[in-house]
Amino acid sequence: MTAENGTPDPHEPPVHPVTGLDEVVHQRVRLGILAIAHEARRVEFGYLRTQLDLTAGNLSKHLSVLETAGLVEIEKGYAGRRGRTWITLTAAGAAALAEEIERLKLLITRLETTDTPEDR
Amino acid sequence: MTTDAVPPAGDPHRLLSDVRALARQVRLDQRVTWVALLVLAVVTFAAIPFDWYSLNADCGSASAWIKDVNGGSMCHITGRGAMFYWPPALLLAYTAIAVYAARVARARGVGVRALPYAITGAALTVVLFIGAWLLWRMYFASHPAPTHPFPYWVMLLDRLAAPWGAIGVALLVLARLERNVALLLFTVGYLAVVLVPINFGWHPSWGYRGILGAFLPQQIINGTVLLLGAVGFAVARRGRR
Repeated sequence: MTAENGTPDPHEPPVHPVTGLDEVVHQRVRLGILAIAHEARRVEFGYLRTQLDLTAGNLSKHLSVLETAGLVEIEKGYAGRRGRTWITLTAAGAAALAEEIERLKLLITRLETTDTPEDR
Repeated sequence: MTTDAVPPAGDPHRLLSDVRALARQVRLDQRVTWVALLVLAVVTFAAIPFDWYSLNADCGSASAWIKDVNGGSMCHITGRGAMFYWPPALLLAYTAIAVYAARVARARGVGVRALPYAITGAALTVVLFIGAWLLWRMYFASHPAPTHPFPYWVMLLDRLAAPWGAIGVALLVLARLERNVALLLFTVGYLAVVLVPINFGWHPSWGYRGILGAFLPQQIINGTVLLLGAVGFAVARRGRR
């Protein structure tokens, strides 16, 4: 897609935003987890469950995917006698979230500019 | 409860709006606006007796801060008691707000957002208020007593560095941290009230009590604005639930 000197080739068609989407992040629940963790800085498992309306098992699976990808850190502890799990966004997670949002915006722009009345 | 990896057509809009809605909900859950305003209102009202009894108006002296235009007399007004009340009271207030914010955030399951506000508030108390007080002391120790009122901009800076002004500046930080436009607008209004003094006509020509009384309405107004703000934000929060 780029010329030999590393600059984009003007004759090549521009890359479609969909090609750059990260499958780990580009998923409604996981994107929600990243968005909440980014805003909250540190978020408890129960809060994520309530906000995303998920079962504990389903949320655990998504968190596991994000943790394996290095996008979140999971920390288990206690509040009194109650066990609590806290989720923190890593630097890679914050970057992935920002990139995903940027690509979504690009995709929306692309859809809006190429959407003709006949398509509708 | 879906695990769709590829969204159906039109979903980028939904994904983005979902992300924004979730972020907004988190911000709402992290807010401690009304508690901060309530604590600051209590501190402001509690200051009234301290400031009232510690103010000293020397109307027989040649030195002058306030000139009675009608009578032509000069009064030198000092309030050292404020130094013993405001710094510890504000530091205690910011500590209380920080502790409350941390407890509420932990209970709700989110991180604390208001801690930098409490730190900024405490730092402003120390730097602005104590710094301004020391500057005034140093100025009057090395300069003859002024015979005319200070320029408007000096008094404006003085009011900004006073406890009520410092409270407003710190609230701007809270508005930024909470991304709270309503709080930003409220703080701008509060600062306008603080920086443009309101006087109901209590005048030095009314004598000693009149001079001291000239400070009272402003303090009551500052406290009332903060209290009304606390009530307003509490009601708004309740309405959102």
